[in-house]
Amino acid sequence: MEEKLVEFANLLRQNGLRVSVAEVLDAFAASDLTGLGERDIFRSALRSTMVKRANEVPIFDELFDLYFSGLGEVIKQAGQGVQDALSMSDEEFQQFLEQMKEMLEKHGKELSELAKALLNNNNGQLEKMLQQAARDARLGNIERTIEESYFARALARELGLDRLERELEEFRDQLDKSQHGARARMEEFLQRRLQALQDIIRRYVRIEREKRDLKTRESDRLQQLSEKSFLYLTPQEIEKMNEAIARLAQRLKNIISVRKRLAKKGRFDIKKTLRTNLVYGGVPFKLRFDRRKKEKPQVVILCDVSDSVRNVSRFMLQFVYSLQDLYSKVRSFIFVAEIGEITEHFRDNDIKDALDIALRGDLINVYAHSNFGYAFRTFVQDFIGAVNKKTTVIVLGDGRNNYNLPHDWCLREIKGRAKQLIWLNPESKNTWGFGDSEMERYGPHCDMVEECRNLNQLYHVIDRLVPR
Amino acid sequence: MFSSIEDVIEQFAKFNYIASRRIATVIYLASALKKPVLVEGPAGVGKTDLGKVLADVVSNPLIRLQCYEGLDESKALYEWEYAKQLLYTQILKDKIGEVLHGARGLAQAVERIASEDEVFFSDKFILPRPLLRAIRSEQPCVLLIDEIDKADAEFEAFLLELLSDFQVTVPELGTLKAHHLPLVILTSNNAREMSDALKRRCLHLYIDFPDKEQELRIIRTKIPDVSDKLAEQVVNVIHALRKLDLKKIPGISESLDWVKALTLLNVKTLDETLVNETLDTIMKYEGDVRKAQEELKDYVEKSRARRGGGTAIPGGSSDKDFLN
Repeated sequence: MEEKLVEFANLLRQNGLRVSVAEVLDAFAASDLTGLGERDIFRSALRSTMVKRANEVPIFDELFDLYFSGLGEVIKQAGQGVQDALSMSDEEFQQFLEQMKEMLEKHGKELSELAKALLNNNNGQLEKMLQQAARDARLGNIERTIEESYFARALARELGLDRLERELEEFRDQLDKSQHGARARMEEFLQRRLQALQDIIRRYVRIEREKRDLKTRESDRLQQLSEKSFLYLTPQEIEKMNEAIARLAQRLKNIISVRKRLAKKGRFDIKKTLRTNLVYGGVPFKLRFDRRKKEKPQVVILCDVSDSVRNVSRFMLQFVYSLQDLYSKVRSFIFVAEIGEITEHFRDNDIKDALDIALRGDLINVYAHSNFGYAFRTFVQDFIGAVNKKTTVIVLGDGRNNYNLPHDWCLREIKGRAKQLIWLNPESKNTWGFGDSEMERYGPHCDMVEECRNLNQLYHVIDRLVPR
Repeated sequence: MFSSIEDVIEQFAKFNYIASRRIATVIYLASALKKPVLVEGPAGVGKTDLGKVLADVVSNPLIRLQCYEGLDESKALYEWEYAKQLLYTQILKDKIGEVLHGARGLAQAVERIASEDEVFFSDKFILPRPLLRAIRSEQPCVLLIDEIDKADAEFEAFLLELLSDFQVTVPELGTLKAHHLPLVILTSNNAREMSDALKRRCLHLYIDFPDKEQELRIIRTKIPDVSDKLAEQVVNVIHALRKLDLKKIPGISESLDWVKALTLLNVKTLDETLVNETLDTIMKYEGDVRKAQEELKDYVEKSRARRGGGTAIPGGSSDKDFLN
């Protein structure tokens, strides 16, 4: 059993779970206590000792099912399948199996172990033999889907499937001579049983492959996702992205709380020190310092929500708003040609709904052609009050102005009032300035111009907005 | 302590705590392996209660440490009572004079005082905080470290020695080892991820919202005089609400509060107006209340349609007897 647990732990590790040796030892002790009798209890015992993160539980459950019952379940199902195909009730099937057993004792003395196990419906024996064959065929090395048929053949060979076919053939010939009544049914049973075995082999191989494949499905996924360009995300990936953003936001929060604590203490505070040390008769045992006040930044975000960059804007807003408490004030605007403020949507709704409302098009015409110049001019006219010395202004857009007037003086105006002006562009850097891209005009007015094509880049930008 | 998993379930049931098999398994393992349990899960599913009830079940005292940001050793483990020490030196001035009597030179005086200094760093002047109390407890105890995620990461690291060896080192007194290994329950609301080191030392238990049947059982055990119909309706509504995207999803404690409030109002069955009036007991945000009301409208209509004309949640005042 211990061997099996170690192997299971390895499997968990292969799938991205961190299982330490100490935890495996705990699992030994726990499974000793609970025993293996009840599956659910055994599962809880392993789960509480080996899996320590709630989000890893689904992976664990899946692997547990694959590992601890995968094969047994498949064999059982196959047996049931044969019974259903012969359309027999449980009782009839049981009777039929007894008949079969008699037949085997009469005629099948020299049959191989495999044939006996198969025809007797001896699932345990069958499972053992399959496992042995799997070891001989090195099934543990399987990695890819294309290898399935190769390993299925190898497994069949190790199991001795061709010999089995011959044996069953001979056995059927014997049937012909002896019995007549149930002959047709027997023949069908043999046929189905053989098919079932082939089916079992195929599914067994697939299970083994899936065990090793889970990791590519789950744990690497988020990693890859944060590298993938926003432009090419599928709807499912956008769903996943929310999770990734939440995780990154949490990480950033943690980092920032550490930074805050490590921040230098301020000046010696006489008042506080005296008060604290009154307990010690005025002897200054404990010194007290000012906390240097950290200025929380104010952020104004201008998001281009035209078709081409809508996704990026969505994630940007989502990211910033999941970190809202890090800033003293966040105001957000969206524009295509017209510009509108959506700050209050975020106040009343949760982030996802607010975004949907914002992008629905009630506020501004989202189907217009991009006109950065017009949007900036309107912003300067109507909302310039939102920008002051403490404000960081972030513009998110591709700078493709459809050859309209760029009005880049507006950016100069904004920069003059703001603490800093940052431009994030979801296009790759070498396309800037070509065609109707006005980046070369807008760029010089900004303190920072960054390419922002995937989640990692977004993360770094937002990290820089936070005071150190 | 517990002879089997069934035993755990039974004993917990005596104290009105319905433990699922998974919870029972972990508690059983924890008591047998002497390992701390880290309990995670959404708010209001009975994480803290688990610790409290465990103390009742094994009839040992419960020592509780509530974590918060800025919690440090002196609040969690021990502190010297400076004020008391100071007071004593003042009062004992004469005695100190006696000790110092005839000492020649400063060096000798210091020598003499030094030989007496354990008087001042003794048990008398130590102020034990929850962790030290748990370790020095004469009888076995249950230590509940609540909301560990609220404490800083440093404190978590500090807990490691305690959790793996059940001993602490006080420089003036030496290393103190627990007389009895306490049963330790740590709870976390997952405000932040716990460190791997801590998780490795603990058994992990994730408590999720219970299924309908189990929640019904919990309500019936905790509030025995609730009518079956009301309990069932409440559970149905709460389960429907949990599917919504709410800021604060109602937990078991909320459904219990609700049932309590409703029984207090002497309600036998729910209806729409009643739900709207009492929704504040389970919803803690204005936005949530609005969302819930919308959902409930649908829900009521659906169940009416299903049962053919309003027997599920009957409208009209005939069915409630508010003030009888």
